[in-house]
Amino acid sequence: MSKFAPSLTVIAMSVALLGCNQTQKQDPQVTINKNPYPSTYQALPRSATLLTNATVLTGKGEKLEQANVLMVDGKIKAVGTNIADELVAGATVIDATDMWITPGIIDVHSHLGVYPSPSADAHSDGNEVTNPNTAEVWAEHSVWPQDPAFNRAREGGVTTLQILPGSANLIGGRGVTLKNTPSTTMQGMKFPDAPYGLKMACGENPKGAYGRKQTVAPMTRMGNMAGYRQAFIEATEYKLAWDKYEADYAAGLNPKAPERDLTYDTLKGVLEGEILIHNHCYKAEEMAMMVDLGKEFNYHSGTFHHAIEGYKIADLLAENGNCAAMWPDWWGFKMEANDMIVENVAMVDAVKNSCAVVHSDSSTTIQRLNQETAKIMYSANQHGFNLTEEHVISWITSNAAKSLGIAGKTGSLEAGKNADVVIWNGNPFSVYAQADKVFIDGAKVFDRQDDAYRAKSDFMLGQQ
Amino acid sequence: MKHFNYSLVAISMLAGLLPALVQADTLAVTNAKIYTSTEQGVLSNASVIIEDGKIIQLNPDVVNADIIIDAKGGILTPGFIGAMNPLGLVEVGQEKMTRDTNDKAADMTFDPSLAFNPKSVAIPFARKGGITRNIVAPGGGETIFSGQTIEVTLTGEWDSVVATEQALFVSLGAKHEGSRIIGMQNLINKLEEGQKALAKSDKDADKTPSKEALIINAVLSGDKPVIAYADRGSDILQLIKLKQRFNIDLVLLQAADAVLLADEIAKAKIPVIMDAMRNLPESFDSLHNSLDNAGKLSKAGVKVVLATPGDAHNNYALRYSAGNAVANGMNYDDAMAAITSNVADTFHLEAGRIAVGMPADMVLWSGDPFEYSSHIEKMWIGGEEQSTESRQDVLRDRYMTKSSMPQAYTK
Repeated sequence: MSKFAPSLTVIAMSVALLGCNQTQKQDPQVTINKNPYPSTYQALPRSATLLTNATVLTGKGEKLEQANVLMVDGKIKAVGTNIADELVAGATVIDATDMWITPGIIDVHSHLGVYPSPSADAHSDGNEVTNPNTAEVWAEHSVWPQDPAFNRAREGGVTTLQILPGSANLIGGRGVTLKNTPSTTMQGMKFPDAPYGLKMACGENPKGAYGRKQTVAPMTRMGNMAGYRQAFIEATEYKLAWDKYEADYAAGLNPKAPERDLTYDTLKGVLEGEILIHNHCYKAEEMAMMVDLGKEFNYHSGTFHHAIEGYKIADLLAENGNCAAMWPDWWGFKMEANDMIVENVAMVDAVKNSCAVVHSDSSTTIQRLNQETAKIMYSANQHGFNLTEEHVISWITSNAAKSLGIAGKTGSLEAGKNADVVIWNGNPFSVYAQADKVFIDGAKVFDRQDDAYRAKSDFMLGQQ
Repeated sequence: MKHFNYSLVAISMLAGLLPALVQADTLAVTNAKIYTSTEQGVLSNASVIIEDGKIIQLNPDVVNADIIIDAKGGILTPGFIGAMNPLGLVEVGQEKMTRDTNDKAADMTFDPSLAFNPKSVAIPFARKGGITRNIVAPGGGETIFSGQTIEVTLTGEWDSVVATEQALFVSLGAKHEGSRIIGMQNLINKLEEGQKALAKSDKDADKTPSKEALIINAVLSGDKPVIAYADRGSDILQLIKLKQRFNIDLVLLQAADAVLLADEIAKAKIPVIMDAMRNLPESFDSLHNSLDNAGKLSKAGVKVVLATPGDAHNNYALRYSAGNAVANGMNYDDAMAAITSNVADTFHLEAGRIAVGMPADMVLWSGDPFEYSSHIEKMWIGGEEQSTESRQDVLRDRYMTKSSMPQAYTK
């Protein structure tokens, strides 16, 4: 806390001076640029396109047979069996008979670009394991857009993905949401106006990464909690210092701006609700504490990632408005993954107001999020659930969009939403199904039938 | 409570069947679509009769058995065989006290059977994927030699280990420190020394060979397969030369670049054990990974084994790998062979086929065994019916059961 004392003192002095000199001239106001690396994303070439005669899963709970999807100017214009002729006039028609259409797949947990393929030491840029709190680092500053895995993920229907820093730290840094479009720069992929995410991690990783040396906290789960709390105490002070500066300035005073601090810029963004929490947190009791931590410091605890034990606290998650992002069957690699059940997602989902998400955290699994969803649906249905295709698609589309704060823009096939669309050559919950064509903002970015729409990374070009 | 029915039924059937089989009665499965994994291919409306744990009749004209199970048109496959994983050696990967692999001191004689735990919770979970038998691989060691594989069944019983000292596992290719050359030289030197020693020992017969010498001798006589992990084409070529020079029973593991040398590998009759899901250039040794490699190799005449190498906990997903291989161009029957008969042939097992004389390792499926929508109706290992309930099912049921008491009381 002492860290911010000087600026607080300055503010106090300036208030004192004000009493003597009401006409003091103001210095230019100091403001923090919240978007210093802005998106330069541009949709690829596109024209109005009508997809016809498909089985359509809208991502909003509906399954439409023999239905059409119309994309105009990068947006979904209409979905259904009965689209007015005047709307479709001039559109390129793609016959999708016997095919299925879903919204573009969204992965809320990816390390593509920051842990790229090949896994060269020089490209291992996902985990700033230098301090338990590295809220100052931004994953977007590590993304290698040439990671060949972006292309493979697109072939699996992934149109949007959040790149997170790794999980060694209590507070690991900012994540970034990207559109899965080929680009030579990170900015060219950046999802315009998507909120930032903040990666936090519970449990074994932070205590293992630091406590093992027995010189740096945390080495226990209670040390983890102390670390988060200390960070948010300091962040609260920082926010108060800025709030005061802004209020005084607005009142016509000439206060000295608090010293910028990248770490607390990010945590201040959390406290102000602008940055969403994405918390690597497996265990029921730890998620419950992270919910309370959010309440203690007046921020929302966001999405729990890898929530292996989500099923044990499904009610709590739903009541508190937390999304939970889960795998069907990762387990056995660490104690906190010991209580895996394949039906976890289904049990989290079964509660009213829930937000169940299937995520990958893997450069290979990201290519098959539809199949990961299928595993859960069929296993759960064998054990008393009654899940439908039109419902479970939400786990990798609309619920994922909600988790990332972009549900108003993508994640479902509804008029006005971005035309992020996948055409599958069959039921996407079959092991044999493949994405046939993928669209981002109405532009074709992948076509299994046309090599012209199969991107190749610079790295793979010319390899023997 | 609907979710509870399935497991209760399975348990009661198991309880009902076991005493009958102990008395060596015969069991018939009738009206099944049988994937034999033999030249007989797929038999429709077929039946199989087992006695004393073995298949004694396949599709006889008249079915005569003490117990008859009507498969009602369901698909009967050989039990799937996992390969080159540490099942039963690792309980929780990151907990060193639960891990009996990756010891620095592991060498050629490292024997997984000394630690194999048939009570591992990973085993019932693997059974859920139709895996009935497994090749447990050693791991670790500071040289290229990690030890020898063992063959186990997945009954979870104390007598699960079927065979030890089965195949020698060798790890080649890129090194984090140092050169791959040293590894390859090490292998060549061992084989050369072994050859020389053999020539000498003909004259000097009373000298007892070392354990290592016995292993190398078995390799040189072609009795013991050598499973060589290597990805890069240049390493694969060296290994092909090695097979030709020493006439060893060579098997490639992973072999990302195999697709560039498919004809040479097929001609040299070298099986390839691979993870069909690898399609990223994970390293500079594996730039040619692709989902269609399994199909391409198989079409070129290579005996392909599909596996999930290195993973003790998710062998159950092997059938989905096979499905993905099919979706990416592998012939369906080839994919079925790749997780049954090809594994048996590669490791010299008496298993992997529904054929007279084979152990009755069989799985009855509700539908296409590679599909997510299908599940196991029944499975047998050595003729004994197996439960497909795992710890995961018990956990799920605990948390799905409504109670006024804390979940800790629901068992």
